[in-house]
Amino acid sequence: MSGRLFYNRASGPKPLSRRSFLLQAGLLTGGIYLSGCIRKISGGKPEYAHVKGKLSGPNAKAGHALRDKLPMPAPSSQQSVKTLIIGSGISGLSAARWLKKQGETDFKVLELEDHTGGNASFGTNSVSSYPLGAHYLPIVNNYDKPLVDFLQETGVITHFDNKGLPFYNEYYLCFDPEERLLINGHWQEGIVPDFGVSDDDRKQITRFFNLTTQLKNAKGNDGKYAFDIPLDNSSADETYRKLDRISFQDYLKQNGFTSPYLLWYLNYCCKDDYGTPALNVSAWAGLHYFSARKGTAANAEPNAVITWPEGNGWLMKQLKASVKDHIQTSSLAYDINIEGNGKVAVKVLDLKKNTSTVFYADKVIMASPQFVNQKLLKNIPRPGFDVSKLHYSPWLIANLTVNEIPTAVKGMVLCWDNVAYNTASVGYVNANQQDTKLIENKKVITYYLPLCDKEPRLARLAAYTRTYEQWMDIVITEMEQMHPGITEHIEQTDIWLWGHGMIAPTVDYIWGDNRRQANAAINNQIFFAHTDLSGISIFEEAFHHGIRAAQQVLDHGAA
Amino acid sequence: MNKKLPILLLVSVFIIATCGLIYELIAGTLASYLLGDSVTQFSTIIGVYLFSMGVGSWVSKYFDKNLLGWFIRIEILVGLVGGTSSSILFLVFESVSSFRIILYGLISITGILVGLEIPILMRILKDRFEFKDLVSKVFTFDYIGALIASLVFPLLLIPYLGIVRTAYLFGILNVLVALITCVNFKHEIKGAKYLQGASIISLVALLTGFIYANTITNFSESLTYSDTIIFSKSTPYQRIIITKKGRDLRLFLNGNLQFSSVDEYRYHEALIHPVLQAVPDAKHVLVMGGGDGLAVREILKYPQIETVTLVDLDKEMTKLFRTNDMLLKLNNRSFLSPKVTVINADAFSWAREQHKVYDAIIIDFPDPSNYSVGKLYTNTFYGIVKHLLKPDGIMVVQSTSPYVAPKSYYTVEKTLQSVGLHTVPYHNYVPSFGEWGYIMAMNRPVYKVPDHYLPGLRFMSKQCLEQMLYFPKDMARVPAQVNKLNNQILVKYFEDEWSTVL
Repeated sequence: MSGRLFYNRASGPKPLSRRSFLLQAGLLTGGIYLSGCIRKISGGKPEYAHVKGKLSGPNAKAGHALRDKLPMPAPSSQQSVKTLIIGSGISGLSAARWLKKQGETDFKVLELEDHTGGNASFGTNSVSSYPLGAHYLPIVNNYDKPLVDFLQETGVITHFDNKGLPFYNEYYLCFDPEERLLINGHWQEGIVPDFGVSDDDRKQITRFFNLTTQLKNAKGNDGKYAFDIPLDNSSADETYRKLDRISFQDYLKQNGFTSPYLLWYLNYCCKDDYGTPALNVSAWAGLHYFSARKGTAANAEPNAVITWPEGNGWLMKQLKASVKDHIQTSSLAYDINIEGNGKVAVKVLDLKKNTSTVFYADKVIMASPQFVNQKLLKNIPRPGFDVSKLHYSPWLIANLTVNEIPTAVKGMVLCWDNVAYNTASVGYVNANQQDTKLIENKKVITYYLPLCDKEPRLARLAAYTRTYEQWMDIVITEMEQMHPGITEHIEQTDIWLWGHGMIAPTVDYIWGDNRRQANAAINNQIFFAHTDLSGISIFEEAFHHGIRAAQQVLDHGAA
Repeated sequence: MNKKLPILLLVSVFIIATCGLIYELIAGTLASYLLGDSVTQFSTIIGVYLFSMGVGSWVSKYFDKNLLGWFIRIEILVGLVGGTSSSILFLVFESVSSFRIILYGLISITGILVGLEIPILMRILKDRFEFKDLVSKVFTFDYIGALIASLVFPLLLIPYLGIVRTAYLFGILNVLVALITCVNFKHEIKGAKYLQGASIISLVALLTGFIYANTITNFSESLTYSDTIIFSKSTPYQRIIITKKGRDLRLFLNGNLQFSSVDEYRYHEALIHPVLQAVPDAKHVLVMGGGDGLAVREILKYPQIETVTLVDLDKEMTKLFRTNDMLLKLNNRSFLSPKVTVINADAFSWAREQHKVYDAIIIDFPDPSNYSVGKLYTNTFYGIVKHLLKPDGIMVVQSTSPYVAPKSYYTVEKTLQSVGLHTVPYHNYVPSFGEWGYIMAMNRPVYKVPDHYLPGLRFMSKQCLEQMLYFPKDMARVPAQVNKLNNQILVKYFEDEWSTVL
């Protein structure tokens, strides 16, 4: 196996012209459609014909109704509410929880899906629960009081030792063995390449980790950490902020990091956290991944993670617990206006009854992504903000129910996170890792594939064109590569497609003007809370955006 | 007169004699494998077999007409019964209450059929030979066959074919005799076609058995185990193998030795008595693992014990040790005691849901050789078990060898200490295991060394424990860390330390 990266493109993201986009889109979708037809005509059963499952994703019908401005039924009722939260992902639920905590009772959370959770959604079958998106949280920065409090409330942190270090619940700390990598034909322990790696490569890997360790503790001239969470707490020092204006790939080149193994690893990390390789993310974001997390624990290593079968769906349920009665699902907000009487009028379609209601709210928290908000706020200008500059990475998540994973003769056994070197996916996670049972006969594994081989718009279009069988061709091929003979052990594969999976921290987005403008509240009535306002799609950012927006509502409500 | 007749039939005599003795040897060998005590088994088997042959000879006078036809029928029957005998015995071995009946039943049937062969054959040949010549020829071939059988059985057949395939092979030979006789004398026999068909079908059946004998006792397995495998079964959780060599019965789970019947008392006495002698009024005992019932056997020696709760994952395992005669003898029918409750459950999940407390807890899990079992050696698990232990109760953990794997051993101790338990490590020598370690753990800080032991123990005594509590320099305590769910260092240590010896 060579150390060459699997994708190969000139440096820097190239914006496509409209014409070239249309041409490429046509060729691509046509090609996929054609291959689907050929498949059907040629007949024959694939190896995985026995596998049950379906292709699904976020409510595309509702999304398209919004995009294509389909006619909506005229509002037939109206409601008043003090605060309306649009979106029940982590940001929205966190905002709702904060309002409730501060004694508010007059608020509502609207969700267009029939379930809450956004990227922290999960599914359940007869074997296990499993994530449909985010699936873990690294142990948190000890000084992050709101988050530490939340984790203590929910029993994730059980107590503090006499040095003040948090004790994490042992059932939630990821069980050993944690990670393995299939490299040079061998499953090694850990994901940083090691097996069959030359001394020169090792030296570069060590040098990189020394750099990030140093940056972990680095502070800017304003006394703030160079990299922090939430990222808006990071230092304004130009020494660090200027790193946002070059790509991570260029930064690595400039600093003499050339080892193909190291570069593979760093690209894997970018894909894992940002859904796109180092080429498309800023150096600041690339380094943030390694240097922003400074958490320590009494009973775990500094880089430990906490996880559950349903992934961050577990945390989502905890956030939701106190505000359950305020949530209204299958409700699509499709139009927002600021009325003369100072109220915000939000038109909402009940997707089940197909009726519309107008909500008159004093304040609105838009805990929905900006590409959606743009459609809702079509009559309200957001000066200086250009949504077209935001890049959302499409993702494919496949949950496979397997009755056995064929084991390699040698090497590391099944871990929580299982990755193969130089493959398109970022590997799979064992949803049943936290099971204390001695032996499970069946398990669910969650396979993550960031669709980053093309520019996001093209990749998204191509993704929407593919059928279940065409996805299976991709998923099964890669699973077979990792575990020859696994196909016959797969009982079910449910595929979940995220068209706009997560925001990508592209060059100049995090510290550029566009993001600053995106965060600006409108008229002290409409506030925003979403990870795309950070540029980094992680639980901590969403959690803090929710609290920040809720606090803004409370501050302005009091005035 | 057909000239082929005498040679062909004399070859048959030779084969018949060989087969007859082979079946007898198979029955005797299987009986002593499965039931133990080879002298008694062999002599009763031979007795019953010879007596049945006598019955067969006596019955032979009732066969009057169509003697060739009867000879062929008997050959086919001998082939079928003898050929499948060892498979049948292996398969029914589990439900052992009927095992002896089936064993002696099969021996009797084979004996009767073999007993019929020679008299009928002699009567077939009597008109074609002078009597003194006939007697001398038939018995000469009979005894030569017996000699050959007694030599090839232990030297070639058992080592290279195994006992199941040997039986099938000789069953096939018997049926071949029937078939050849049938083909050669089809004009002299009534219903030759029907007999020919029957022999061919039997031949195919026996051949199939010969080919698939592997599924009955795995031949490759019998190569990896130096002793004879008398039982093997794959359960959803593990592969159970029982081997026997002389008086030594051994249990293997997934290829790892669990006990040898010769010295297991050293292990189980050491596991149980230092705990129970120190908790004189113990009434309720919990055993986790130990699905062989041997630890429970030791516990039941204390009359004041009211309940023993045993939690073992594998239903097949506890069933085997509750039903098999030989194993019941070994564990003194401990699972049949009304005081004992067997729960087939996953120990970790089961323990999490319990509230009842116990005077003594015996933890007898397999060694931490993989991450699944490793979970049962973590601080989280010991924390749960601690809640099931009465304030003045004692628990004990089998903790691998402090000689071969000191780091692993002291990791278990450190992990027990990390949940606030006081520990008392001790060790003894178990020949089949080597130097072995145990760790007692308790809430109170002091372990009072018992002054005396139950009468009748073969190993434990006051002086013995004194030695067991002493750790020589080559097993002295080494620095260790806590084994946790999120950092299973024990599995890594265990693998490292044992890989250097194995």
